[in-house]
Amino acid sequence: MPQHASVGRGSITVDHLPPDLARELYRHMRTARDLDTEAIALQRQGIFPAYVSVRGQEAAQVGSAAALDPARDFVFPTYREMAAAQAYGVDMVGYMATHRALWHGGLYDVAASRFGAVNAVVGGPVPHAVGWAVGERLRGDDGVALAYFGDGASSEGDVHESMNFAGVYGAPVVFFCQNNQWALSVPNEHQVAGGSIAARAEGYGMPGVLVDGNDAGAVHRATVEAVAHARRGEGPVLIEALTYRVEPHSTSDDPGRYRDGSETERWRRRDPLTLLREAVIAAGHAEEDALSEIDEQAREEARRIRDGVSNTPEPEGTELFTHVFRETTDEVARQHRTWKEEVEP
Amino acid sequence: MAEETITFTLPDLGEGLVEATLLDWEVDVGDHIARNAPLVEMETTKSAVVIPSPHDGRVVELHAVPDEVVRVGAPLVTFAVAAADGPRAGIVGTVPEEESRPRRRVRLTPPTE
Amino acid sequence: MTELIEHTADTTTGPVVELSMQQALNRALHTLLAENSDTLVFGEDVGTLGGVFRVTDGLQKTFGTDRVFDTPLAESAIMGMSVGLAMNGWRPVPELQFDGFAYPALDQIVNQVARMNYRTRGAVPMPVTLRLPSFGGIQAPEHHGESLEALFAHTPGLKVAVPSDPGEAYRLLLQSVRCEDPVVFMEPKARYWDKRPVELAEPTEPVGTGRVVRRGSHGTLIAWGAMVHRCLQVAELAAEDGVELEVLDLRWLTPLDTDVLAASVRRTKRAVVVHEAPLTAGLGAEVATRVTENCFGDLAAPVQRVTGFDVPYPAGPLEPQYLPTIDRVLLAVQRTLEY
Repeated sequence: MPQHASVGRGSITVDHLPPDLARELYRHMRTARDLDTEAIALQRQGIFPAYVSVRGQEAAQVGSAAALDPARDFVFPTYREMAAAQAYGVDMVGYMATHRALWHGGLYDVAASRFGAVNAVVGGPVPHAVGWAVGERLRGDDGVALAYFGDGASSEGDVHESMNFAGVYGAPVVFFCQNNQWALSVPNEHQVAGGSIAARAEGYGMPGVLVDGNDAGAVHRATVEAVAHARRGEGPVLIEALTYRVEPHSTSDDPGRYRDGSETERWRRRDPLTLLREAVIAAGHAEEDALSEIDEQAREEARRIRDGVSNTPEPEGTELFTHVFRETTDEVARQHRTWKEEVEP
Repeated sequence: MAEETITFTLPDLGEGLVEATLLDWEVDVGDHIARNAPLVEMETTKSAVVIPSPHDGRVVELHAVPDEVVRVGAPLVTFAVAAADGPRAGIVGTVPEEESRPRRRVRLTPPTE
Repeated sequence: MTELIEHTADTTTGPVVELSMQQALNRALHTLLAENSDTLVFGEDVGTLGGVFRVTDGLQKTFGTDRVFDTPLAESAIMGMSVGLAMNGWRPVPELQFDGFAYPALDQIVNQVARMNYRTRGAVPMPVTLRLPSFGGIQAPEHHGESLEALFAHTPGLKVAVPSDPGEAYRLLLQSVRCEDPVVFMEPKARYWDKRPVELAEPTEPVGTGRVVRRGSHGTLIAWGAMVHRCLQVAELAAEDGVELEVLDLRWLTPLDTDVLAASVRRTKRAVVVHEAPLTAGLGAEVATRVTENCFGDLAAPVQRVTGFDVPYPAGPLEPQYLPTIDRVLLAVQRTLEY
């Protein structure tokens, strides 16, 4: 499988994309960027207890999620996939509810969205993607599972075990690593022995692809090819999208303690959104005016989501007990009564 | 236009932090400030952050001065805003155990022995 | 008559400084690294960053990258590597960043760390101290507010320590790292930032000793970690009603101080155990049983348990309704008074 390096230094191309798709990628990335900005503000205003920014990773997330079929496929995210959720069509008010701590995992319908619950266990959902994909094969269906994980998660046993399983079973899984180069405070050179996550694919008998994660068009093409490979029954693919976490790990983090601001500045200048905007215009896929209109619509959409999540009512305390079991037990029911008698506000 | 005043209290800027030091105000009393415009710079044991304004409105009162240590949940700034300006900030993220006077509903009856 | 016990009862005299628990733990680690060149501190983000709660702040700068270092992100390997380092004569003090991420490492903790000394008939001791930011109360994301103490206490071969305030944190960490057995050291996140005067002195009481934090005659509240603070709040309110409650801080869950439990309940005749973890098979059941076994004839009422519910740890706004509330503890006390 070819490597999808971007064309030129600091520039990208979307000549290979249909114009409407290029504009859609831009719309999703713009919306995710504006929503990200609103979310950071909501944390500082006390509405969100904490937030994890996706800024700088929009191309990797939108380019890959847009290559899937939300009617057939299934996405297994971590906790930093807001832009992927946006591009995949997830109810974003429900998605952002996890950051307001209304419900761990979010308030969107995971089954209907075919987008897994927000999951904070690093690497934990990756084996789920393998199981889901094996299930598709057993039933004779052609859905593909895409598992997102990061450079930090690539060190976890669960991720290695999953790749081996997928290789052994020939499961239709796309392992999509967003290498944002920092696992909280630990840089790639202290995380990834050998320096390449994509190279590990060889050991598990699957193609490994390194792609410029800030190039939405290149990410999209690499994912389309990987999904087609898996859907044809040719087994799993590992994609490493090289990008950069320009914001802190979370709003509780202070990167000044562990990394050089000039490196972050260099990556901020290589902004995937700016690159895509310039490439869309250069390819003749849209005029400046049309993109400005998308900008305005994205801003409105981000505000709608912001206000929607801010105004979502808090869950009732009784919901503590609702979903523990499908068939509840006498003991849980008894404790529910205790809560009513002793705690209910 | 109908106005109401809203006091913004210091939210927990980290996970379980109880206080932060005010570094500098970005506004003065009487200023009009847009939502998300820089309001105040605070420093916690974890990091220094600029808090963006939670409201569109006029600054009526600043409750702390630079270098002052402000407790989470303490008033920071009061805005005059157009009525019904949306959700009020400062209700999430404080450490619940730090109430100066713990709340109770239950009263005890001492034993008679 | 209410009497507040001074926290210095079990220490030698040392300088008193005002510290948060996070700062007190940092001081203790500094002392431990300085006194024994075999001691190693490692884990995710503990080096350059100084830990997500800054407990290891500055240690790498002082003691170098050989003795204080960041690991790749792999909890099972962190604990497995601790076994190998201990086998080779080192004294590992690993950190797992949050309670919920100890689950991926449970195999190494339970199957390896806890039983290596037993398996090798004492040839290979495991002086490993696992530092684990634990428990809830800070409206954190999922897996960042779990209470695993019953799992660890149920694992033969592990000792379990839980400090409740900065001074206890300083002394218990010194004891844990110097201990020749593996210790799971559970740090209550909700108390990290609370400042108290700390006497920087050597601990004088042995491992496995609980303490009386407040004296009272009408009943005993039994707790560990952040729930000690909750029980002190309750005792203060109860005193307004004329009910004097004793508060015990167990400090060590393994070994559990049955003597301090029995001595207190024999005097007060009533016991309420309070913990954040779910009720069923929680450590409260063990405490209640020991009280019953030792004080059955003295008890004026059955031992009460006030705990988290048997539900997964909930998100932000539901957290205060999950954790034992002041009213729930007061109601349990009232049940023992009316029995």
